[in-house]
Amino acid sequence: MSQLIVSIGQASDKGVKQDNEDSYGVYTPRDSQLDSKGIAAVVADGMGSCQHPKEASEYCVKGFFSDYYSTAESWSVKTSGAKVLTALNSWLYSKSRDDQPKAMVSTFSALILKSTTAYIFHAGDSRIYRYRQGNLEQLTQDHRVWIGQTQNYLSRAMGIDVHLDIDYKTLDLEVGDVFIMTTDGVHDVVNDATLKQLLNQALSADAICASIMQRALTQGSQDNVTCQIIRVDELPSCSANEVYNELTRLPFPPELEPGMELDGYKVISEIDASSRSQIYLVTDNANGKPMVMKTPSVNFSDDPAYIERFYMEEWAGKRIYHPNVQVTYDLPRPRHAMYFLLEYIEGQTLAQWIAANPKPEISAVTHIIEQIIQGLRAIHRMEMLHRDLKPDNILINNEGVVKIIDFGSIKVAGIAEINTPVQRMELLGTRHYTAPEYLLGMAGSEQSDLFSLGVICYEMLTGKLPYGEQLNKNINWKNISKLRYTPAITLNPMIPLWLDGALARCVHSEPAKRYETSSEFFHDLTHPNENYMRQQIPLLEKNPLRVWQIIAISLLALNGLLIYLLIQQH
Amino acid sequence: MAAPKINFLSFTGNMRILHLSWMAFFISFMVWFNHAPLLAAMRDSMGLSDQQIKTLLILNVALTIPARIIIGMMVDAFGPRRIYSGLLLTSSFLCFGFALADTYERLALMRFLLGFAGAGFVIGIRMISEWFPAKQAGIAQGIYGGWGNFGSAGAAVTLPTLALMFGGPDGWRWAIACTGLLALIYSAVYFFSTTDTPKGSTYFKPKRNGALEISSTGDFFLYLLMNIPMYAALGVLAWKLGPDNIKMLSANVVYLLYTILGLLYGFQAIRIYQINGHVFTTAVPDIERYQFKQVAVLNLAYMVTFGSELAVVSMLPLFFMDTFQLSATTAGLVASIFAGLNLIMRPAGGWISDKFGRKRSLTTILLGVATGYVLMSFINNQWPIALAVAAAIYCSIFVNSGNGAVFAIIPLVKRRLTGQIAGMTGAYGNVGGVIFLTVLSFVSPASFFITIAVFALVVFAASVLFLQEPAGHMAETMPDGSVQIIEVK
Repeated sequence: MSQLIVSIGQASDKGVKQDNEDSYGVYTPRDSQLDSKGIAAVVADGMGSCQHPKEASEYCVKGFFSDYYSTAESWSVKTSGAKVLTALNSWLYSKSRDDQPKAMVSTFSALILKSTTAYIFHAGDSRIYRYRQGNLEQLTQDHRVWIGQTQNYLSRAMGIDVHLDIDYKTLDLEVGDVFIMTTDGVHDVVNDATLKQLLNQALSADAICASIMQRALTQGSQDNVTCQIIRVDELPSCSANEVYNELTRLPFPPELEPGMELDGYKVISEIDASSRSQIYLVTDNANGKPMVMKTPSVNFSDDPAYIERFYMEEWAGKRIYHPNVQVTYDLPRPRHAMYFLLEYIEGQTLAQWIAANPKPEISAVTHIIEQIIQGLRAIHRMEMLHRDLKPDNILINNEGVVKIIDFGSIKVAGIAEINTPVQRMELLGTRHYTAPEYLLGMAGSEQSDLFSLGVICYEMLTGKLPYGEQLNKNINWKNISKLRYTPAITLNPMIPLWLDGALARCVHSEPAKRYETSSEFFHDLTHPNENYMRQQIPLLEKNPLRVWQIIAISLLALNGLLIYLLIQQH
Repeated sequence: MAAPKINFLSFTGNMRILHLSWMAFFISFMVWFNHAPLLAAMRDSMGLSDQQIKTLLILNVALTIPARIIIGMMVDAFGPRRIYSGLLLTSSFLCFGFALADTYERLALMRFLLGFAGAGFVIGIRMISEWFPAKQAGIAQGIYGGWGNFGSAGAAVTLPTLALMFGGPDGWRWAIACTGLLALIYSAVYFFSTTDTPKGSTYFKPKRNGALEISSTGDFFLYLLMNIPMYAALGVLAWKLGPDNIKMLSANVVYLLYTILGLLYGFQAIRIYQINGHVFTTAVPDIERYQFKQVAVLNLAYMVTFGSELAVVSMLPLFFMDTFQLSATTAGLVASIFAGLNLIMRPAGGWISDKFGRKRSLTTILLGVATGYVLMSFINNQWPIALAVAAAIYCSIFVNSGNGAVFAIIPLVKRRLTGQIAGMTGAYGNVGGVIFLTVLSFVSPASFFITIAVFALVVFAASVLFLQEPAGHMAETMPDGSVQIIEVK
């Protein structure tokens, strides 16, 4: 399968200055990081007036490379870049003291090429241009403030302030695109027309960079001159055939029976089989360790979307380590068929727990919810969404430890950015626990997983669902506002009012009106929130029987009074 | 949490759904064929001519062709539970309408609309595939199809007796109304005791599709061609009802119907182009490729097997009555054997296919079908009844195992499109029904049987020439229990 291939050219000189305070670099990772993180190119220009300009720019470039490529593979470029830059900025800023307000300041321009998209992070007055089919376009804005005709200073850069605004943008890539990164020593003296002319030379990328640098020097540049070129030679293949061949390289395993062996795993029993997959209990012949083997259903043997998702499930699972999340094992041996191995958990599903505990203690419920939240946060930290939380996908082992299972519907932000000819499957969750925004076809957020969590908590406390069968019907923009939350208190009078309020907020039909984080929800589950104490539920909703009893008795009394008055008349 | 094995006596979990679904199919089939065993009574009480009777038989299977496609789309949109209940509910009122009809026109209209009831098959197939894992889906669908199809036999066995019990010239009306009542009650039973999916899983709406996906330019034209018979069959019916034959419809109405059918085909062709136009510009990836000629051959094979079964089941009770001077009850009982064998032979056809190779089984069975109908064509009143019944059984064995053999291949043509391919094949079964019954309305039963036999021979030749043995298993189990994966590519 063809990959992203670029040519790189670099040239830098201290020019008329004493030291070269510019730093620059390009990093092309190998293997899977090329897909998940892409190629990164950075140019930084240490501010001349600060104390350690060279250190500042160098730290920006080196720090960005080492930190960016250490971020989770599942993170999107935007998330990874933002987190890394925030950390870099605070480190630079921390070097300034009262007597040295700007110890380490540097401009920063990064270009990341991932799949078929370019991502730009930028602060300061270095520049990134794109040269495409004879058109030269400046992609970044100079963060410079002019005072008079000649005086100007940097208005934004790394290390100036504890708070940093970074420009971020994305562009589609085409083969033949040339990205030019320059510091102000170049673009202050070399105008666009000249730059275009120089780029048109039939030379290697390095030679072009050198000629741009030379031109800047001969035109009397007053600063360090640095120029870096990245030319896109090949984009990752989107030939459907290649992608599909890769996906179907491994055959589907056959239906396995107890006693059969596959790749050195002995099948003990079938745990579950649905129309989408089979799950077996197996032991590893090498060490007798019990494991769970998941195999795809032959129903989908020619469905690329399903196969891609099957691999994604394994990929995502391997990247989450948390005691409250089922472990997806690294395969000890190469496999000869499509399957993956999971931690074997002895215990019961939350659905079984709910059936066995129709009137649970509230503390027992919060104890379980707390663990689900812990696991869920581990998933969200990886910028993933589970999207199919439900009682059947939560196991409680014999020690009482809760484990989230089944990443069959997971969404991984960093993967969603990778271009593919496979039409990815969407909305895989289970309707009763699925947030309404998914049912409307919108993208979900962490609040959508929180919705499912709220529904689960509600079901544990009441045995019912907060919206009953309403979510199972056709949801559209017109009827979404008609979704009616059934107060938990009407189903279980033991539930305090404030708890009901927390549940109602957690499963609100609008994501914006839900809790922002799971920990906020948990806090409200365990600490009475006064806001929810005051809001009274009408008696008619809380206890309809009592209302009608009162009405009936009052009417009876009224009748009695009337009769009495009538008799009195005579 | 172990997945239960198929245990027919169980009434829990997915077995409950299977039982409820085959009963729904059984009742829909019973309603669909409730007229066949009562034709003699209807003929006597309403004074129908032979032509009118035969037209009723054709009318009964005509609407099923488009209904199968429409129902298929509705199941995708609303889920099997609602659609099955809706189908039974609608059919029950049509039954009452048929029972109350006092003119031939009204009778014909109701019978035509009752063709709707024949579209139940696809609904249950969808239900079963939601509830059963791949390993059990085949046998579960076999049970569903086999027991459900038994509905026409059920009608043949019970309704003549029921009609006699009510007695009088209107006994048949009461008997038919009873099947309507049964459908009415069961539509409520089905609605309140099933769900579309096992608890906790999602009902997927497939991508909205008005046409099958094909994967090469040649297949594109073959697909256009294969769509013609579905509209042509309805055209034949319109012609049959027109001034040249039955004189039920005026020439203008018939021309109008032709125009409508032509337009519908035009729309269908446009839709096919919208979905498949890309094959003219870009190559289809290997994983998406399949050969449409496989579908075409299977369509024709099912047209012979299921199509002839539909025709024969409709005419057999009356044929036996008239040929051997039997009572309605006895004739119904004898005729029910033909459909009844479906119960065993449909699953058996699937099993034979798995065991002896799919192409070999299907071609052999088609040859058997041809000999069977040749044999049937010789039946006359000189034969002992036992021998005639034996001939019918011989023929039925091949016809019904043929149904099973066709459906054993369908999932292997193109997994992802199985539902649509099965739907199109089912529609071809009805095309066969319309064509063969139309033939019957012009010729003697003997010539009718010979026509089917010739047709079976043609399809036999087509399947020998064009059908390819589908790629089978990708792995096999070694004697020591370990699984050997065989590279397919």
